[in-house]
Amino acid sequence: MTAIETTGLTKTYGELTAVDDLDLTIEDGEVFGFLGPNGAGKSTTINMLLDFARPTAGSATVLGYDAQNEADEISPRVGVLPEGFDIYPRLSGRRHIEFAIETKDAANDPDAILERVGLSADDAVRPAGDYSKGMRQRLATGMALIGDPDLLIMDEPSSGLDPHGIREMQELVRSEAERGTTVFFSSHILEHVEAVCDRVGVLNEGTLVAVDTIDGLRESIGGGATMELTLATAADGHLETARGVTGITDVAASGHTLECSIVDPAAKATLVTALDGAGATIQDMQIDDVSLESLFTTLTNGETDADGQSTDDAGTPVAATTEGDR
Amino acid sequence: MTSHIPTVARKEFEDAGRSKLLWALITLLVGIVVIGYTAIWYTADDATASEVLGFLGFPLQTIVPIAALIAGYMAVVGERRSGSIKLLLGLPPNRTDVVFGKLLGRMAVVGTAVVLAFLVALVLGAAFFGSVPVADWLAFAAITLLFGVTFAGLAVGVSAGTSTRGKSMALVVGLYMIFVALWELLTAGPYYLLYDEGPPVEAETWYLVLEQFNPMSAYTTLSSNAIEGEVFPFTFQYGLEDFEASQMTPAERYAGDAPFYLEDWFGVIVLLFWLVIPVAIGYYRFTKTDL
Repeated sequence: MTAIETTGLTKTYGELTAVDDLDLTIEDGEVFGFLGPNGAGKSTTINMLLDFARPTAGSATVLGYDAQNEADEISPRVGVLPEGFDIYPRLSGRRHIEFAIETKDAANDPDAILERVGLSADDAVRPAGDYSKGMRQRLATGMALIGDPDLLIMDEPSSGLDPHGIREMQELVRSEAERGTTVFFSSHILEHVEAVCDRVGVLNEGTLVAVDTIDGLRESIGGGATMELTLATAADGHLETARGVTGITDVAASGHTLECSIVDPAAKATLVTALDGAGATIQDMQIDDVSLESLFTTLTNGETDADGQSTDDAGTPVAATTEGDR
Repeated sequence: MTSHIPTVARKEFEDAGRSKLLWALITLLVGIVVIGYTAIWYTADDATASEVLGFLGFPLQTIVPIAALIAGYMAVVGERRSGSIKLLLGLPPNRTDVVFGKLLGRMAVVGTAVVLAFLVALVLGAAFFGSVPVADWLAFAAITLLFGVTFAGLAVGVSAGTSTRGKSMALVVGLYMIFVALWELLTAGPYYLLYDEGPPVEAETWYLVLEQFNPMSAYTTLSSNAIEGEVFPFTFQYGLEDFEASQMTPAERYAGDAPFYLEDWFGVIVLLFWLVIPVAIGYYRFTKTDL
């Protein structure tokens, strides 16, 4: 069964195309990271899954139900952490949780939920208007967990959280996934996604530019690493040796330096052994892994421009500063 | 699917109960009753509780709608702007539950304020003027309650149909101005242009129907029937219409037996009209919109 499926999903705002002909399938039980810079159309997509916004064209199903026509079937079965939400400032944190329990007709213990998302008993009785951004995020996460949803849809769940909170969020995603919950969450920060995701989809300017596992992505863009070796003698003489090692795609020599592009991690050690066997003396060695960050940049053309800004403009201050372009 | 309207309404009422708004409204309404009763008790010697009740009609017809509009105009659009509506709609309640839950919640808030004001009036009437005009009191309270929830509903309807706080406020203020200050210009003005004279006492039927549909005069007409004495409508007069005529109800101005829609009781329908139509339009627009 598929948890989420979009077919030709498109949303335009006047001239601006926020989401462009999106075909995406998320299988039951997987943890899917929805990546992309701010304004890529992630929130617009999620808003259409939740029936907050209506598609211009195409359709989406969530848990097999049409996101627009059968939204009432979907909402009791999913947990939602929306983007750009706010809490009810006058109501206590506990009342928020109780309200969610009432609407979901669930049997959860409010205190257990509050504890799970890291809100203390003291916090729980305070009006939520006094909460920090991170605490609001925790509260909304708690509301999303109520009723043991089959699917968690979280839009930028790490926004407003400190590194500790982000780790806790990742723990939570993992434990929900172990219970069999499908998790679909968006982020503009790759590191937050790679640690917990089975697969990721990268969205850029409303278009899906890649869907794969993190490792798969790395391979698909010829990623891997570059290895730079400084030899005691001219590197020219060892070109053939290096080329003969499997897992090395490209070798260049200049002076004493031998530069190799590596796709198979195991090739690094093999190369060193091979060079040594061929009588070369390695004086220094440097390895540059293709970082996930540069991978991400490659996929999104290094652009985190403001196109489609309106779709994501309720993004959090944290998100904005991390992104560094607003 | 089970309806989440009561759950949303309850949360709404509880939320409002913690706001200064509800308490300001109650203080205002109760304050007017207390000041009014005390003032009359000081100045008039032989007033009866029932007559004094009639005095309330004048301040209530201005304060109740303003209070109700304030209580309602942010109901839906406020949550839309803050984003809390996403938290709410992410849960099982759908847009229908939100609009009608909020409608009930806000009507309950306004209703609470009106009922408290009337309870105080009942007690003060008994204490100062020595009688308890139960029938008048009940009828007048019920009419005022309807008047209040009508305006609360109108405001919630507007708040559901608009996308920004500013638009909602502008619409609500504009409607209130039309009811109170511009009605004569908008009805007697065209009449003047059509017939070269302001509407006389026995004006054309269409004009009387329009008069009938002003919620302010619907309230005063109904109230005048419920209590001793008369509650005069507080609306701006431009002299387009004969002053004498403006103080009469459409039923009184109609030559012969008035059709049912010009009779005094029809004011109830008029008030319900101003409740239902804005809610229907606002609801329709809200279900179609992107959040």
